[in-house]
Amino acid sequence: MMLKQMIFAFISSMGFAILYSIPKDSILRSGFVGAMGWMVYYKFSHILNDNIISTFFAAVTVGVLGELFARYYKKPATIFMIPGIIPLVPGAGMYYTMLSLVEKDFNMAANKGTEAFFVAAAISIGLIISTTLSRSIKRVKNKG
Amino acid sequence: MVQNLQNNEIQPKKLLLLAILAGRTMLKNGAETYRAEDTIERICKSRKGIQHADAFVTPTGIFASLEYNGEMITYFIRVKSSKIDLNIISLVNEFSRQFVNSNMSIDEGLKRLKHINKINNYKTITRSLFGSLACAFFSLLFGGTLMDFISSYMVSLIVLILINKLTEYKITFFLNKFIGAALASILSILSVRLGIGKNMDTIIIASIMSLVPGVAITNAMRDTISGDFLSGLSRTLEAIFSALAIAFGVGVVLNMYFKGVIR
Repeated sequence: MMLKQMIFAFISSMGFAILYSIPKDSILRSGFVGAMGWMVYYKFSHILNDNIISTFFAAVTVGVLGELFARYYKKPATIFMIPGIIPLVPGAGMYYTMLSLVEKDFNMAANKGTEAFFVAAAISIGLIISTTLSRSIKRVKNKG
Repeated sequence: MVQNLQNNEIQPKKLLLLAILAGRTMLKNGAETYRAEDTIERICKSRKGIQHADAFVTPTGIFASLEYNGEMITYFIRVKSSKIDLNIISLVNEFSRQFVNSNMSIDEGLKRLKHINKINNYKTITRSLFGSLACAFFSLLFGGTLMDFISSYMVSLIVLILINKLTEYKITFFLNKFIGAALASILSILSVRLGIGKNMDTIIIASIMSLVPGVAITNAMRDTISGDFLSGLSRTLEAIFSALAIAFGVGVVLNMYFKGVIR
C-alpha cells in the first residue's frame, strides 16, 4: 500500500511538473520531491490522524528538499517545490465544504471549511519555515 | 574609442531596458517578485560606471532606475501575467548569471532574451495530456477505482484543453477557473451517469486538482518572507479568489444536480 501510494504520488507530481512546464532535466527530481512530500503526509496522517499537522510536515519536507535541490542544481527553488505542493492543496476540503453547503448541512460545511482553511495555512507555514531556514543558513555561511 | 564616447549616452538606457525585459519575462511566467528584483539589480550593477541601481517590482508592474554619470534613468513597465512556464524562469535565471559573469554585449543579451521568450518547452497538447495524467493518478491516491482513474483522465483532459483555449482569449482567471470547475463537475456527473466512473466525489476532486492555486500559494509565501508584503498580499488574494472560483463552479453545478435540473 505504502509503495503504491508512493508510485502514484511520484507520477502525479511529474504530471503536474509537465503541466507547469518545468525544465526537462528536472522532471524526475521534482517527481521525487513530490513523492517524498506525499509519503510524509500519508505516514503522519496515519499516525496522528490529523490532516492539518500532517500537511504541515509534508510542506516542510517539500520546502526543504526543494531548497536543497535548488542549491545543488543551481535552479530556482520553485521548480522543485510547486509540483510537490499542488497535491497537498486542500481541493478535497474545498469540494466537501461546497457539497455540505449545497446539502444545507451548515455544521458540516463550517467543519470542512475550517479544516480546508487551516490546511492551506499549514502549507504556508511549512513553506515559510523551510525557506527561512535555508536563507538563514545561507547568511551564516556567507559570513563565515 | 570615438564609437565608445558616442555610445556613452545610449548604453545605460539599453542596459536598463535589458534588465527590465529580463525581469518582465520572469514575472510574466510566474516567478516570485524578489527574484525579478534581484535579477534586474544584478544585471544593472554588472557593468562599469553604474553608481546606483534599484528596482521595485509588484506582480503587475516593474519600476527600475539607475544612475549613470550623475544622471538618473527610470523606466516603468506594466506586466500582465498570463501563464506559468517554470522553464523560462530557469532559463532567464541562467542567462542573468551568464550576463553578469561574462563580457556579453547588450545587443547580444537582448537577442538571447528574445530567443528565450519564444522557447516552448512542451507542446500545449503534451502539457494537457500529462496534466490530466497527474489528476488521474491523484484520484487513485484518494482511493478511486480503475474506472474512476479512466473517467477522471477523460474529464480533466477536456477541462485542461478548454482552459487553454480560454486563456488564449484572455479571459480573467476568475471566470476561467469558474468555468473549468463547473465543466469538471458536469462531466464527472455525466461519467457517473453513463456508468464509466463510480465515485463522483473522487472524480470531481481529482479533476479540479489541475485548477488549484498551488503556484499562487507558494509564490505568495516566498514573497512575504522576503519582505515584499505588497506582492505577498496580492498573490494571497489571487489564491483566495481562485479557490472561491473553483468552489463556486463546483457548488453551482452540484446545486443544480441535487435540485434535479441536471439528470
